[in-house]
Amino acid sequence: MADNGADVADDYRQALEDLTMNSRIEIATLTNIARENANHGLAITEVLQNHIKKVPPPRTLPALYVLDSVVKNVPTPYALYFGPKLYSIFMNAYTKVDNSTRRKMEEMLRTWKEPVPGSISTKPVFPPQYVQPIENALIAARNAAYQANQSSFRRPPQVAPTRDTPTPPTARPASHQAGPHGQQPFAGPPNGHAQQQMDPAVTQQQQQPYPMRPHTDPIMIPPRVAPQPYSGVTDMPHYQLPVSRENYGAPQPGISIDRLKDDIQQLIIAERTEFARNPLDASRQTRLKALLDLQTIIQRQDMPQDQLMLVKDRVTELAVNMRAPGAVAVTAAPLMSSTYTLPIPPVVSQQPTPVPPVAIARPPSVTTGAAAAPPPAAGAGAGAGAGAGGFSIDALFGQGALAALLSAAPKPATPQQVPSASATPQLMSQPLPQALPASLGAALAAMRSPPPQRLATPPVPAPAPVPAPAPTPAAVPTAALASNPSALLAMLRQSGLIQPTTSAAATPPTTHTSLPVGGAWGAPHYQPPLETPLSYQFRAAHLKQFRPQAMVRLEDDLGLPCTHCGRRFKTNEDGRRKKTAHMDWHFRVHQRIAEYEKRGQHRSFFVDELDWINSLEAIDVDYVAPPAGGNNASNNDSGDSPRGGHSSAQSGGKRGGQQNQQQQLQYIAVPEDSSRVNTVCPICQERFEMKWLDEAQEWVWMDAVKIGERVFHASCHREATKDRDREDTQAATAAAAAAAAAAAQAQLYQRGAPEGVLGKRKAEASDLKSVRPDRC
Amino acid sequence: MSIPGLGQIAPQPATSNKRIILLKPLWEYRFSVPRNSPGVGVRLLTGTADRDGTELALNRTYTFQRTRSKISTYQGCTLEISGGPVDDYVKDYADPSDSPACQFVNLHVAFQEQREAAAARQSGRTAAQGPRVMVCGPRGSGKTTLAKTLVALATRVGGQPLMANVDPNEGLLSLPGTVSAAVYGTMMDIEEPAGGFGIGSTPSSGPNAVPVKLPIVYYFGRERVEDDVPHWRDVVNKLASSARAKLKEDEAVRAAGMILDTPPVDLENEGIDILAHAANEFAGEYLPIQLIMLLRAIANCLTSANFILVLGSDQLVSELQKRFAGQKTSLGELIMVVPLDKSDGVVQRDEQFMRFTREATIKEYFFGDSKRTLSPSTQLVSFDDVAIFKAPEAESEAYEGQPILEPAEISAEMSHWTLAIMNASVNDPPETIRQAPVIGFIAIADVDEDRRRLKVLSPVSGRLGNKPLVWGRWPEPYINLLG
Repeated sequence: MADNGADVADDYRQALEDLTMNSRIEIATLTNIARENANHGLAITEVLQNHIKKVPPPRTLPALYVLDSVVKNVPTPYALYFGPKLYSIFMNAYTKVDNSTRRKMEEMLRTWKEPVPGSISTKPVFPPQYVQPIENALIAARNAAYQANQSSFRRPPQVAPTRDTPTPPTARPASHQAGPHGQQPFAGPPNGHAQQQMDPAVTQQQQQPYPMRPHTDPIMIPPRVAPQPYSGVTDMPHYQLPVSRENYGAPQPGISIDRLKDDIQQLIIAERTEFARNPLDASRQTRLKALLDLQTIIQRQDMPQDQLMLVKDRVTELAVNMRAPGAVAVTAAPLMSSTYTLPIPPVVSQQPTPVPPVAIARPPSVTTGAAAAPPPAAGAGAGAGAGAGGFSIDALFGQGALAALLSAAPKPATPQQVPSASATPQLMSQPLPQALPASLGAALAAMRSPPPQRLATPPVPAPAPVPAPAPTPAAVPTAALASNPSALLAMLRQSGLIQPTTSAAATPPTTHTSLPVGGAWGAPHYQPPLETPLSYQFRAAHLKQFRPQAMVRLEDDLGLPCTHCGRRFKTNEDGRRKKTAHMDWHFRVHQRIAEYEKRGQHRSFFVDELDWINSLEAIDVDYVAPPAGGNNASNNDSGDSPRGGHSSAQSGGKRGGQQNQQQQLQYIAVPEDSSRVNTVCPICQERFEMKWLDEAQEWVWMDAVKIGERVFHASCHREATKDRDREDTQAATAAAAAAAAAAAQAQLYQRGAPEGVLGKRKAEASDLKSVRPDRC
Repeated sequence: MSIPGLGQIAPQPATSNKRIILLKPLWEYRFSVPRNSPGVGVRLLTGTADRDGTELALNRTYTFQRTRSKISTYQGCTLEISGGPVDDYVKDYADPSDSPACQFVNLHVAFQEQREAAAARQSGRTAAQGPRVMVCGPRGSGKTTLAKTLVALATRVGGQPLMANVDPNEGLLSLPGTVSAAVYGTMMDIEEPAGGFGIGSTPSSGPNAVPVKLPIVYYFGRERVEDDVPHWRDVVNKLASSARAKLKEDEAVRAAGMILDTPPVDLENEGIDILAHAANEFAGEYLPIQLIMLLRAIANCLTSANFILVLGSDQLVSELQKRFAGQKTSLGELIMVVPLDKSDGVVQRDEQFMRFTREATIKEYFFGDSKRTLSPSTQLVSFDDVAIFKAPEAESEAYEGQPILEPAEISAEMSHWTLAIMNASVNDPPETIRQAPVIGFIAIADVDEDRRRLKVLSPVSGRLGNKPLVWGRWPEPYINLLG
């Protein structure tokens, strides 16, 4: 084991370099390593930071997941170490990865604002002061992206391919779904989100077949499709990115640019169609022109994020306007007038379907239902723009142009509309929805949302630029919606343009999305394996099922392995104690192996039934074979092994560490360097008798015992210490007696030490010399 | 570097035979080391790997000799293979759930839940027993491997299961021709040919780098159960009673339960009856083995095993289910027959290989292995100083009251046989002697009929004293151990 930080860091660096894919197992392993070496946390932090910085983009995400996992599982000290560096790490990585990865990063970021799933602590993974700057930066980036997006609007055909969204460009115009289509994906993700959130355990199970790529969640797709048939189809391409099922939209700069372009393009297409139908309609003309101008501007200018944001909001509004009529046509439930009612119901209805918690956050985005939100969002956008940069759309594009655009809502029926339609039926089933005012809907949503923090959060993290004036009740839903462009559009579409409300559209998204993400990544990856109770049946299907978490239980969950033998020890106090004992045992055995190699060993006899039954498995305790049959009990101290449950074993255990000391038979091997050892018993002043002991295969001093540096006659010593050390002596005596009884030969060497007599006998009866008065 | 000559030593070209193989999760590296091979070294570079459930330590080279085994992995790993020659290949599974390891682990998890429940319920006198599991199957279906894996996994999580083997063909911590049991509370010896079940894991006078296991051994002296079913029943009964006593005495063991490896069952034979018997005997009150139910039905005895795992034989499954369906153990647990797929990796071990293995096992018993050299003692013993018994010749007329053991006439025939030393007295009745636990084995190195002296190889020096020796009929002598 590496003992110093440098070694640890080096090892860790190498381990990180091996991490090429998103493998839960590897990440868990790395997490465990980090956990084990928390004392070198700073070194590991640096290594990881550097790794994330240097690693090629495709491998950045796994590395970030390691960070995430480490921070969530070992918050102390890693959250502390990473906190200050979080911004640079995150933004650095964010800039170099592709969009799909960014989406996942955003999901991850969201989870950082939440408590670790499954943990009792309510503290977020990272304190807001670390996460907030990142969020702000992302919002800014997204805004910029939107603007950039608009600028590229010029070439509609080309836009499609470059877009992140896979929607086939051709399909749009034909089906009239063009405008909404591009946004469809947004609607989808939320659903998937909800699905995923709904039950970590379920998700977990679903993921089981794909242990290596826990992120992949194929199952997500079907559920999503169910509620929203349309979006499901269109979304498909999006989901290729396994992880991305969530709401990715809002924060992502790249995406938002694309989306913005897309939106504008859709609008133009729709507008053109309209225009073709009613060439005489002046308002349309104006709008079309405005749109084209907008496109041009966006494409040409490198607009700051704030402005982009504004534009985006405007466009969204426009889209809403344009679609509103279409919506009427398509859906049974129409209208501008009833704008508010419509949107909300979906929200409500949606909830039943997916998991409740998620559903709430999501509903707006999922369905067009979010109608309530649109007005606020739009307003927010404008307000934000004004507040932040002092820009306004009008300033940018000229007064009136956009206004014209916004004023009228042509007919385009977009796919978005369709989803809403589908949502509507659900609505119907629900008693409340129809009549619900926006505020009520919002309140409802709030109530339903299980995690209060989520709802609460959106308003709070308002992005820097936006001062939030007067949030209407609708604001809450709006916030939720805002996260998802598509949701926004949907809302706008249905509601038409509405009075500007506050609430930063940008902020809410992030917050909201955070929920799902936590579930998506954090939960399935780590917590579930530990928490999900496994109930197994003995049915073949059950037995054959691959359950990675069961295997984790057998490995990582058991702690780190001993480097000598692979036995694992938990990292808790008990585990450490055991590990210490275990390593001591290894050490002793290793020492003694070398010692015994010189001497010759032999197989021991097996034990008798009684001994076997009474023997206890003594783990990491020195072993002294119980005397049995002709076994040479004295000589057995092979390590870590079953130990006789009687006194001999205990005394052996106590004294086993002493070199060459064989308590049971009371002899010691003749010291190699006899000049350094007394050759005379300090008690009786007699020389030790040297004898070849067959069983030990060596020359020994019989009836000798080494105490510290001095050698005594065992019997003398016993006699001398029996009062003060009665217990110990008794053990030794008992052991000796047991050994003597068991081994006939041993008895020859056993010196009885009859007590209470005038003198003591140290040696065999034949040894007359040994009978002498006790001098002690 | 400045020491002359030191820098000029060319790097060993021998390293060229090192290979790195990558195993994805649940893949297996299967290898077969020929008997004359010096051994193949396996080093775990990254990830985790295990042999039959016992984990390999990272970066330690394990050397395998004369064995056919596999290294499997739960999380994926890279292994460095060195040495050889070795026949090996990597078994990959496109679908992880195809791997037999899945079954094993899931079984373990299920049993582990029961163990935990048993441990939780254990208080005072009320004995809650862990699962008692009997592993059955035809020859070469991986019974022992499954048993070993279950034991190893249980040990890994801190359990101390009792492992019992009643298949005389392979000894558990003993020589072939015996039935035995031992508690496994510590790591198994990965390098040992039998992977922790071999004789090499038994105690010796010196320390052992891998914790040793202490077996209780009974001598059967035959290759197959069918050769002497009554005798086998007797020794199994003895083993079962010892096992029950152990389970009764030792709480940790009781909670961990028992895993019972059984003789191969070929349905054409009377295998089922044998199995039934095994289940019965082990089904005692304290035996948590769930296999007991199965045996009970068949033998009309009480069975304590509550799980019967059947590897790769549908016929056996249906037979067992027929007999055990709805049956309960003496503890009132439902006996469960669990069909399992046989691993495709199981190799049929030919007789030649088995013979070689037996021979090596006997050699190892006396002389140790490459890691630990043992020095048995050679003694000259007068014919009169030993009491050797054997079962009456089969061809002799069987009659009522025929002694089951009779003193054997010492002759040159006896050379190179391995005899069991029974923990009994020479004067005990034959039944007692025959069913006594074994304390060791001696090998007859030479018989000098003229001078009436035996040269015996004994693991422990010292006279055999009063202990009777039993001369079985198997395993046959192959070699002169002293030659």
